Amino acid sequence: MKYRYQEEMSPPPARRATDVAITRFEHVYEVEPGLMTEHVTQQTFPNWDTLRLVRSRADHLAWMHRHFADKVISGEELLHDLDE
Amino acid sequence: MPDPEKEFAEEWRDAAYNCFSSGHKFCREVCPVMQVTRNESWSPTAFHANVVAMEKGELEVADVAADYVNCTGCGACELRCPNSLFTGDFYRFRTRTVDLVKAVRGLAVEQGLHQPGWQRWNLLTDERRHEPVLGATPVEQARVRDWADGLDLPIGGESILFVDCEAAFHRTSVPRSVARILNLAGYPFGLMNEQWCCGGPAAEMGYEEQARRFARHNLDDWRAAGVRRVLVLDPHDYITFTEDYPKYFGDAYDIEIVLVVELLAELIREGRLTPHVPVERAVTYHDPCRLNKRKGVWREPREILRAIPGLTFHDVDRVTQWSYCSGGGGGLPVEKPELTAKISEQRVGKAAELGVDTLVSACPWSERPLSEAGAARSIDVVDLHELLAESLGVAP
Repeated sequence: MKYRYQEEMSPPPARRATDVAITRFEHVYEVEPGLMTEHVTQQTFPNWDTLRLVRSRADHLAWMHRHFADKVISGEELLHDLDE
Repeated sequence: MPDPEKEFAEEWRDAAYNCFSSGHKFCREVCPVMQVTRNESWSPTAFHANVVAMEKGELEVADVAADYVNCTGCGACELRCPNSLFTGDFYRFRTRTVDLVKAVRGLAVEQGLHQPGWQRWNLLTDERRHEPVLGATPVEQARVRDWADGLDLPIGGESILFVDCEAAFHRTSVPRSVARILNLAGYPFGLMNEQWCCGGPAAEMGYEEQARRFARHNLDDWRAAGVRRVLVLDPHDYITFTEDYPKYFGDAYDIEIVLVVELLAELIREGRLTPHVPVERAVTYHDPCRLNKRKGVWREPREILRAIPGLTFHDVDRVTQWSYCSGGGGGLPVEKPELTAKISEQRVGKAAELGVDTLVSACPWSERPLSEAGAARSIDVVDLHELLAESLGVAP
């Protein structure tokens, strides 16, 4: 990972995904920036930071599955358990 | 409340409520300070809750400044926070506890509220242009390149190697190993004309004016020598050059920053380096916080270790290591060495459970406290760059 300021501060062009979401990186979605101008404003986010979070999330979820997900429970079974 | 505190509370209000209103506190169990103290006033949650109280006029920075010493800046809390890990990239708004801690420390210094150890450390750094680390080489400007004696390295050039204070004056075998490896690979590089401390530690302890002054000097020195690329072996410097300097210089920051451990992995991949001398050790790897948690760099060090013949490598995955730390960062060893020691003992204890004889790190600042803790358990603490140099047959 070579760090160059201009590259990090230039996100790929946004493509609209829905009325309220855009996408800049494959499979990575962001809230429509126009919705983040009043109450809570967005932070400066270099590209590396977006990708770090995305990759860390995937690693964390895989880790959770490895440690805790040893069986698959259907929605029906869950509802049954709740009824009991 | 004094005006600077009011401005500060307004600036950090949203972040503080974002934490305070969530209450999940996943941060607590990955925080190294919390793990060894269980002091709720020193938790990432408390650091944010204080801002809420400041905004409501219930407390002033003087009431809590000393609490903010208790952070290594490892970044575990802010990464593990769901407001970062699960929604940060979506909203482009994540938890920034490390920045908050730095900001409170800075606010305290601005108001004349000094921690005695940090005040002395930064005063000496300002006088000597380098941190007053203890080592065989006296810390002074004239000796900053002594580590390179006999290596015949040029001054200046398109790429230069920046060596942090701990490695330049104390862990000198680390930069010597890096220099010998780069020479072996035929990668051209030089040294700075007049290197000063990167300024990162001053910024972490709240002395931002000093940090900016040092950064200005270094950037001017690079430009005067026509430097285009800075090679960085220390994760703390890497943070400073890729997070602090961009903040200080903005669009004018035109220097490429390269992390040495990533460069070395690339050189191995390309076949320009081939480790061939067996190193008969049972090792585990300590993910430096600033690489793994704060930058997401964890693959390359493992690539290097797996390329070294003879090693028996007991890996502990990067997510498990979000809750590991040496305790050596954020100025904690300067102000609270007893906490650093406890955190290091805990980290070495995890290594001992694996039955290894060696703990490998890639951060010079972690290696002093880890070595001290390792000695009690007969576990060697070795730097990754040194280990690679050994396997390449280029002893420092």
